[in-house]
Amino acid sequence: MSDKTRGSAPERSGGSGPIRAPQDFVAGASLVALALFALWASADLSQGSLGQMGPGMLPRATAVLIALLGIAIAIGACLRPGPSLERWGIRGPLCVFLAVLAFAFTIRSVGLVVAGPLVALIGGAASPETRLGETVIFAVAITAFCIGLFKYLLNLPIPVLVIPGVVVL
Amino acid sequence: MGDLAANLSLGFSTALSVQNVGLAFIGCLVGTLIGVLPGVGPIATITMLLPITFGIDPVGALIMLAGIYYGAQYGGSTTAILVNIPGEATAVVATLDGHQMAKQGRAGAALGIAAIGSFFAGCVATLVIAALAAPLTRVALLFGPAEYFSLMVLGLVFAVVLARGSIPKALAMILVGILLSTVGTDLETGEERMTFGYGPLAEGVDFAVLAMGVFGFAEVLRNLEHTEAREVVKHAIGRVLPTLEDLKRSVWPIVRGSLLGGALGILPGNGAVLGPFASYTLEKKIAKDPRRFGQGAIEGVAGPESANNAGAQTSFIPLLTLGIPPNAVMALMVGAMTIHGIVPGPQVMTRNPTLFWGMIASMWIGNLMLLVINLPLVGVWVRFLKVPYRLMYPSILVFSCIGIYSVRNLPEDVVFTGVLALVGYALIKLGFEAAPLLLGFVLGRLMEENLRRALSIARGDLMTFVERPVSGVLLAVALVVLVLALLPAVRKSREEVFAD
Amino acid sequence: MRTTLVLVAAALGLAAGAAHAASYPERPITMIVPFAAGGPTDVTARIVTEHMSRTLGQQIVIENVAGAGGTTGITRAAQARPDGYTIMMGHMGTHGAAPAVYPNLKYDPTKDFEPIGLAAGTPILIVAKKDFPANTLQEFVAYVKANASKLNEAHAGVGSVSHTTCSLLHAQLGVSPNRVAYRGTGPALNDLVAGQVDYMCDQIVNLTPQIQAGTIKAFAIATPERNPAIPNVPTTREAGLPEYQVSAWNAIFAPKGTPKEIVAKLADALDKALDDEATRKRLADLGGDIPDKQGRTPEALAKLVQSEVQRWAQVMKSTGGGSR
Repeated sequence: MSDKTRGSAPERSGGSGPIRAPQDFVAGASLVALALFALWASADLSQGSLGQMGPGMLPRATAVLIALLGIAIAIGACLRPGPSLERWGIRGPLCVFLAVLAFAFTIRSVGLVVAGPLVALIGGAASPETRLGETVIFAVAITAFCIGLFKYLLNLPIPVLVIPGVVVL
Repeated sequence: MGDLAANLSLGFSTALSVQNVGLAFIGCLVGTLIGVLPGVGPIATITMLLPITFGIDPVGALIMLAGIYYGAQYGGSTTAILVNIPGEATAVVATLDGHQMAKQGRAGAALGIAAIGSFFAGCVATLVIAALAAPLTRVALLFGPAEYFSLMVLGLVFAVVLARGSIPKALAMILVGILLSTVGTDLETGEERMTFGYGPLAEGVDFAVLAMGVFGFAEVLRNLEHTEAREVVKHAIGRVLPTLEDLKRSVWPIVRGSLLGGALGILPGNGAVLGPFASYTLEKKIAKDPRRFGQGAIEGVAGPESANNAGAQTSFIPLLTLGIPPNAVMALMVGAMTIHGIVPGPQVMTRNPTLFWGMIASMWIGNLMLLVINLPLVGVWVRFLKVPYRLMYPSILVFSCIGIYSVRNLPEDVVFTGVLALVGYALIKLGFEAAPLLLGFVLGRLMEENLRRALSIARGDLMTFVERPVSGVLLAVALVVLVLALLPAVRKSREEVFAD
Repeated sequence: MRTTLVLVAAALGLAAGAAHAASYPERPITMIVPFAAGGPTDVTARIVTEHMSRTLGQQIVIENVAGAGGTTGITRAAQARPDGYTIMMGHMGTHGAAPAVYPNLKYDPTKDFEPIGLAAGTPILIVAKKDFPANTLQEFVAYVKANASKLNEAHAGVGSVSHTTCSLLHAQLGVSPNRVAYRGTGPALNDLVAGQVDYMCDQIVNLTPQIQAGTIKAFAIATPERNPAIPNVPTTREAGLPEYQVSAWNAIFAPKGTPKEIVAKLADALDKALDDEATRKRLADLGGDIPDKQGRTPEALAKLVQSEVQRWAQVMKSTGGGSR
């Protein structure tokens, strides 16, 4: 079970305290948290009986199993050494998330002409290697390509340019 | 046998008209190009291109649509191998070893084997359909909800085998996938489950959104962090096509995959989705060195891709013989046929033999087209990987956003993908794998529906799953596979205490 | 002075509106179809709009927004700008049964739309598996009444046409058989052919080939006249259940506030489409029911919506809401 191909380089010696595999411990705890959330979210669903299974039965059963696995993993993390928590990046996830949000908010209100470059530019900010001038040109080029392909060649109903009251392309 | 020859020659004479060959070519080409776009799977592709077929005669239109279908399937596998984004459930398996191969500079070999394997599978499937269509449908009709449930349980066991790392974590991911699949409006009662009254979630989480977020975008985030791991991709691409060694290793996986995928594709109700997973499990289990799987074993691409294509073709059988579409794509085909004035039904074979046999012949031609189109394209894709990542990933983002938006025309879907990207990132950081999650998601819904349906029909008698012979056999097989899957893990955990 | 100004402004506004309407349509129109591509409503929409595009001189582009029995797409269309460039194809479910089936429905079929006109309806059939122990509608009714708890009825999910129409049947017969949900009519029909379930109520489009091939049996068609595609199937009136009259009608709507002239133009284009020979043939091939001249007006549609909403409200109340 090599971690090499997954691109992460965990320090093999785990924590020195009671939690010997911090990554696994957090993983297990997260599972339990998810399970509890699911149980809360499905609280209002009817359970039904085995003969007429209600909508709540499978979600609840699954949530319980997830919780049990989470506890097992967390306990295992206390017993055996394992990788410790990696550093979580901020810039990457944040930029990508904002880029996607920007697309979602502008695609119908302003159109692809703006949404496309926004994604490319904000997304570009996620990487320290990005060069501004190059990315701007690229953003425009790729948006133009997409407009040509999706809107005109394939006739998809994607808003290209929306100026309220004036034009809707 | 003479009958078969006569029918096939009727079919080929129809399919080999200049117009129809041209349509098959255009269909495959366009389908591949669109299917390659991240986030756009076969269903989205066909829906997009359906209006184009309106001006053409029915047989020609169907040939073109079928071409689009295979093309999109293959294009989806291409994206899965190149950038780890599965456009459809069947492409998830291609990411496991295919993308690893791409990272090792062997993208060409992976893509090439996928094309060759698909062609072989297509030939086998065409023969099967031509010779055995009618009797096979009768087999398909044996499968009721109880049998489907057991089949899905078997599939979920495959998901455990698929896991590369920790088994408990993989099990947890499968269960989370199942849990996610329950979000939405309950089919039987109409109650909304865990949607918090939020409109776009009423139909549940969309597969493309989940795959794109948890796989695709999360992969982008991971690559942004680990610049060293990325360098490998830009190394000498080496031989663009598979080596002789690759081909030798792939022969039997391709044969097995074709048969397995072809058999599963016949089952209405989307049995085809299990094909690639079953093939991967089989190859991993009988391989001399199973640890190669997950690190770029070519058998892990050859078998599943063949199964994929074989299943895609045999899934036409319920449509052509019964007139009942086995999955969403075939339902689109029915719509297309209806618009052209052909209502598919049990008598299409006898009343409209030109259509039936023409389609079968054109399936083979379509497969040939795919090979002809894609082998040269491998060179193009591989060169595409050489684009500096700082330019490639923004384009992945742009294409993916457009792709996701085009599925339901809902900006909320795009937002949701972004949220799932963060979730996917968290999963990577915590040592979870995404593939079992996706599998659990796809199978979970099918499994639950059939479970409740079977119990409803049996009025709550749990024994129905064991009493019905086919169902009982499937469950037994699932149990055996599960034990086989867990045994090495139990042994390994005892070693691990000393290793590392 | 002020009054004159106001009057002039009003006149200019009207003129501008009229001029705008007179030149409608100046660009492609979007029709939202709230179901997946390929289904009966989608196919009907495509056939009809192909001809309408020619009359109007601009393309009508279909946008499929599926979900929640069609209500997701209709909700979106209802909130669109009422400038005539977004219209929708609704049907018996979205504009008839929806208020009764979906308690949190975000639109009111009787108030939030400008009806344009009926397109085509698909008759409903009562069908059963090949081995069902009955050969006529009367026998079927008797058997169902006697054995309701043992029978399994297939439908395509709460809110679907097959679900609402069978709810009506059950309400009229006063029975509560076991209802089994499927994800779409394809799988439901598959299990019916295989004999895993006993009967269902569905649109003629999907069923004709199976009936003709003999893989399922049809007891009756719920319209006043027999359908030429399956001439041996009696009407419910002939077969003894005259009160079961239901057709999955499809109709075009525009959002509330769409100018009257635009509504009139659309209604006229629809009318011409329904008169066109080729269009009629394609619709008839589907088993579609084309409305006569009086049934095609916006007023007729408005009345239909009113009566349907009331009818389904009653049916759902007596069968206890959506699930049974």
